[in-house]
Amino acid sequence: MIHYTRQVLDNGLTVLCHTDRSTPFVSVNVLYKVGSRNEHPEKTGFAHLFEHLMFGGSRNVEDYDRHVQAAGGDSNAYTTNDLTNYYITIPAANIETALWLESDRMAGLNFSQHALDVQRQVVIEEFKQRYLNIPYGDLWLKLRPLAYREHPYRWATIGVSPEHIERARLEDVEEFFRRYYAPDNAVIAVSGNIGEARALELVKKWFGDIPPGSLERPAVPQESAQREERRLVVEGNEVPADAIYKVFHMGARASAGFYACDVVSDILSNGQSARLYVNLMKKRRLFSGIDAYVTGDMDPGLFIFSGKLSEGTDIREAEEAIDEEIAKFIRDGVTEREVQKVINKTEARISYGEINYQNKANNLAFFEFLGEVELINSEGARYRAVGPDGIRETALDIFRKENSSTLYYLKKEMK
Amino acid sequence: MIQREIAPVLAPLSEPALLPYRTLTLDNGVEVVYIHDSSQEVFKLDAVFEAGAYYQSRPLVASTAINMLNEGTRFHTAEEIADVFDFYGAYTDYNSGFNKSELSLIALTKYARETVSMLAEMLTDSIVPEKELEIFLTNKRQEFLVDNEKTSYLARKKFSEVFFGSTHPYSNAVTEQDYLQVTPGMVREFYRRYIHARRCRVMLCGNVGGQALEAVAECFGRLRRPDGEFWRGPQPFAPAPVGRYHVEKGNTVQSSLRIGKSGVRLGEEDYAGFMLLNAVLGGYFGSRLMSNIREDKGYTYGISSFNVSMPQGSYWCIATDVHNEYVGETIEEVFKEIRRLKEEPVGEEELMLVKNYLHGDLLRELDGVFAQSDALKHKLNYHTDNRIYLDLIRRIKDCTAEDLLRLAGRYWDTEEMYVVTAGKG
Repeated sequence: MIHYTRQVLDNGLTVLCHTDRSTPFVSVNVLYKVGSRNEHPEKTGFAHLFEHLMFGGSRNVEDYDRHVQAAGGDSNAYTTNDLTNYYITIPAANIETALWLESDRMAGLNFSQHALDVQRQVVIEEFKQRYLNIPYGDLWLKLRPLAYREHPYRWATIGVSPEHIERARLEDVEEFFRRYYAPDNAVIAVSGNIGEARALELVKKWFGDIPPGSLERPAVPQESAQREERRLVVEGNEVPADAIYKVFHMGARASAGFYACDVVSDILSNGQSARLYVNLMKKRRLFSGIDAYVTGDMDPGLFIFSGKLSEGTDIREAEEAIDEEIAKFIRDGVTEREVQKVINKTEARISYGEINYQNKANNLAFFEFLGEVELINSEGARYRAVGPDGIRETALDIFRKENSSTLYYLKKEMK
Repeated sequence: MIQREIAPVLAPLSEPALLPYRTLTLDNGVEVVYIHDSSQEVFKLDAVFEAGAYYQSRPLVASTAINMLNEGTRFHTAEEIADVFDFYGAYTDYNSGFNKSELSLIALTKYARETVSMLAEMLTDSIVPEKELEIFLTNKRQEFLVDNEKTSYLARKKFSEVFFGSTHPYSNAVTEQDYLQVTPGMVREFYRRYIHARRCRVMLCGNVGGQALEAVAECFGRLRRPDGEFWRGPQPFAPAPVGRYHVEKGNTVQSSLRIGKSGVRLGEEDYAGFMLLNAVLGGYFGSRLMSNIREDKGYTYGISSFNVSMPQGSYWCIATDVHNEYVGETIEEVFKEIRRLKEEPVGEEELMLVKNYLHGDLLRELDGVFAQSDALKHKLNYHTDNRIYLDLIRRIKDCTAEDLLRLAGRYWDTEEMYVVTAGKG
């Protein structure tokens, strides 16, 4: 059980506070409800580029990092398809430094052409380092537009291509800030060695006077139901082994369907006693690695099978083997032990997640973003509520051919 | 209205509160070092063996031996072993380093007995089944081929090869062929020689109440204690001549760069000062290398420098992946930044900043019971414990700009540095 207080300030900022006396630190976590799903199709990669610019100084702070470091703190940020999250861990006595820095950049960021020019280049190098210069790095860049036709999930957070990042202009940056970086589009969670009432009081002090945003935030276009099976073959990749990805559309993170899908993916592939590992890697030796997992996105997401083929495995045989496991799952159902195993694993995972105060701040902000902060304490029950019938129905509903997209990612043929 | 023009006053950073640890020595000599925290529901166990790469007679044997532990015992198959850990929601992890190999377990305290006894069985009764070994090596070979496509991997490997010498076990000089040459006999021999009570220490932390400590004492008490020790003799480094080395890899959009030499070992007089000096150059986000090469020039997504202490020595290294066009400029800028630190004293404000950052970073290394156990595990290898943090923090505080000049002069002779690149030449 995690105890927390929740309050929404007059300017729309949601504040969550949680005390953990086992650490000398506090974690200040600011989540903005903007990710790559809010981008224009011609200006992708923007939310993430913007995350870099948030460290370029604000109205009263010339150098953000310098103040964090001088206070003995550490900070970082990440961008996903749905959100942008900034976090600082700092010795509890210096919490006001963290709140000053975060509130100052929420109140007014500095926009400079030089910072934009440099960060554009840094992000392009990041694009290369993480997506182009490593084997299989561009796989998701091909898979997303296959699975999604209308929803902005069809591009990755890094963007469609380095050219999109190249094109970002200063006025785009300013507009993006005014639209999305406002208290009524943000959640702040404070956890660690500070009383909840004190934390709330300090957040009010530093954030209370920031006005809410005035620009409209357009709705995210949603994906229509898929009606036909989709397939794509990408040849000539500089990789040592073929890979296969097979994905199915599924429910959103906060939907009941999500929990059932997560349980299905656990039974299939969580741990070395799970079905795909035992049957396809160890017994049949078709794959050198295989996985089944869910995306857990704000909007309806994907159920993913991904496998790297063993030497000599034909990719059609690999796909048939996955299809057979799916068919078997639907036909034969699951054993009691498999269900109990998932319940135990979930209980353990929740306990592990409660060890770290920083993790708790992150989770509080995330569940609030999903629209139901109490999930931090009630997720276990949602998992336990998924019974064998729910598992079977979900599998039947999701694993349909016309709901699938399959990608063959083939290695370059030896000459 | 709140006054944002003035930064809040900074509080001085505190000393770390060290959690007390206790040691229990079992009849067979296994040391169990534990830190108990009853507020947790979870415990973590690391079984550390003096059985790293240093002791292997050919590449891959040490890491294979530790990774094969869960692939079958006299009483359970690989699938049955996995099923036990999965059923109780426990995680195991297998690591092999320069000198140590480690087997880790994290589990709910209420399932301590079930999970610890399975873990111990892997240490007393592993059989290294031939079929599982072949699958493991085949899959690892494929991972190796994937790694070999990465410039960062190629540069790291080349650096190890020239710094330690290609025949030294630390150099990680693995080829595709090596994956075909590891036999069950070799792995079993390594297991017999090195995975036993004489070479084992157990780190235990979290909620070790209930049955956890008893289960560990009972199960690890069963580890075999051979009469004598097998010892191959010391393995001196055999470095290649200092200079520039390049690994060609066509069709890459970035190049990886490593610049390095020997560093400072934990326990040596200059360790704390060198830690501070390294931080100024490339040891944190606001470092001089980051400010110059990333934030000012945009050549890279990241550049860092680090010092690695090992029982047999140490090395210090700068690592980055850069735009192909700017490899030469980056090397030049790195040397320029090193030269500056040898010639100009670090300014008062920057020095304070880095000292505070490092102080905070050391506090973070001790943040919570799990972190303290991890830190202790490392420090015990150097015949000290976490009290050394108090000394490090004090020394860092006392370090002056003149001290840093002297240290830069002593440790950063650019003539002694290897420069390794991997990418399109």
